[in-house]
Amino acid sequence: MIFTSFNFLLFFPTVILIYYLIPIKFRWKFILISSLFFYASIKPVYILLLLLISFFTYFFTLLIDSKTYNKKILLITSIITILSPLFFFKYYNSINTFIISILQTSKLKFDLPEINFLLPIGISYYTFMSIGYIIDVYNEEIKAEKKFGLVTLFLSFFPLVLSGPIERAENMFSQFKNKLKFNYKKTVYGFKLILWGYFLKLVLADNLALYLNPIFNEVNLHSGKTILLAVFLFPFQIYGDLGGYSLIAIGTASVMGINVRINFNKPFFSKSMSEFWRRWHMSLISWITDYIYTPISFYLRKFKLTGIIFSLLITFLVAGIWHEASLSFIIWGLIQGSIISFEAISKRKKNQFEKKFNLKNNKFYILFCIILVYILFSISLIFGGAFNSFSESIISINRILSNSDPLYINQRILIKSLLVIILILLTEFRDEYYPNKWLLFENKKGYIRWISYYSIILIILFFGVFNQDDFIYFQF
Amino acid sequence: MNKDQLKMTLTRIFKKIFDDQSISLSNEMTASDIDNWDSLSHMLLISEIEDVFSIKFKLKELNKLKNVGILIETIFNKIT
Repeated sequence: MIFTSFNFLLFFPTVILIYYLIPIKFRWKFILISSLFFYASIKPVYILLLLLISFFTYFFTLLIDSKTYNKKILLITSIITILSPLFFFKYYNSINTFIISILQTSKLKFDLPEINFLLPIGISYYTFMSIGYIIDVYNEEIKAEKKFGLVTLFLSFFPLVLSGPIERAENMFSQFKNKLKFNYKKTVYGFKLILWGYFLKLVLADNLALYLNPIFNEVNLHSGKTILLAVFLFPFQIYGDLGGYSLIAIGTASVMGINVRINFNKPFFSKSMSEFWRRWHMSLISWITDYIYTPISFYLRKFKLTGIIFSLLITFLVAGIWHEASLSFIIWGLIQGSIISFEAISKRKKNQFEKKFNLKNNKFYILFCIILVYILFSISLIFGGAFNSFSESIISINRILSNSDPLYINQRILIKSLLVIILILLTEFRDEYYPNKWLLFENKKGYIRWISYYSIILIILFFGVFNQDDFIYFQF
Repeated sequence: MNKDQLKMTLTRIFKKIFDDQSISLSNEMTASDIDNWDSLSHMLLISEIEDVFSIKFKLKELNKLKNVGILIETIFNKIT
């Protein structure tokens, strides 16, 4: 069951109805059962993996918190234990292929069996949530939770289990324990987010997918101009995909009275790449910053800027490998790490330049920076998931640079997609620069709010794509 | 060194790291109040503070430095 499936449209209202009918003290147990059912509905056997990870998380955090044993050894053992299923399911085949290719160059043959299990959906997300929780207990930022059920709920909470946002234990435990009351404002807010989330996913991402997927899957058949256009449209497809799914997740939780951190904050209005990464897939970047970048840069702080640059490269390398253990994503991570490092090195000079020419509030300069960040991000995605393999990424670059065949345009889909992109950019432009003006969903006048809701519902019904149930971020 | 002297020295460090001579520290100040105080400049700031005050922070102390007041208190406890 996924958010865009018909089953979810039955599941969610049923859960909400029962949730608010039963006494508050049973609510967290009911969400736990619903969450396990939700996850099991995708592939029943993987519920065992989720329960096993929940158990080890529960077991190790209690041991670490008890201070009876060596905390550091427990921390290392627990991280290895929690990470091993992720490595087994996600990275075994990639590492295997990599080793075989290395051995083949030395004319050695050593075959390890290939694993054909499907990657358990959401494993990267709940693995990261578990590790974050263990480290927080180790750092004595929170106490270990004594109820196994609450730990399991934290990791299996159905709005977040498939694709995040990657939440923190501190935020979730306190809410599961205390705040599961009906809250009208949160419920209405939640439904608004869900509506906008479905709009992003079904209208933006899935329409763009109809145009972009055939290009990315058959790069040899398309002209350089077509591939270039596809590369520049791809960020909007991912934004609609993960951004839309995140909003549905946050909205679903909000309807139950639970606050979940936002995952995107108008990323296409970023004026630098470092700002972009504070606005794009924020829960992942914040996790990586806290648990990978900060410890590495802390231990390398004596090397000043050099230490920071090294930490940034490692951090983005990990971000790349989190997506996929492939040469493409390693290059993507290094490209992003290099851009951020360059920004770190040149920050002082850039500030002086902006001050000297009074550019901070210059509209043309801001627009130039925004477009530059978008172009850099789009180009980096040539190695960041647009194409199926590294060799196809290289072919695409060659075709962009050398093939001059005409542009392939699917007018119907492209016009639809471009209109939706303009609508999204206009609403985000308003939120960024005129936050309380021209409100639609939040307008004080009821008729404007309802016209807006119905307009978006109609747009979803008429222009949404309903026969596509793929989601880019499930593979991660 | 008393807390006022400490605050003055800390202000000099902030001005140097953030390249902004107009910075005037207050206890309630957080990263969102100072331009360019992000996770990158934060570590440069920590390293500079360690050098100037001849102290060492622990990693887990870093997460607890929620505002300038806590930072001053932490440094003060280390140097006295």
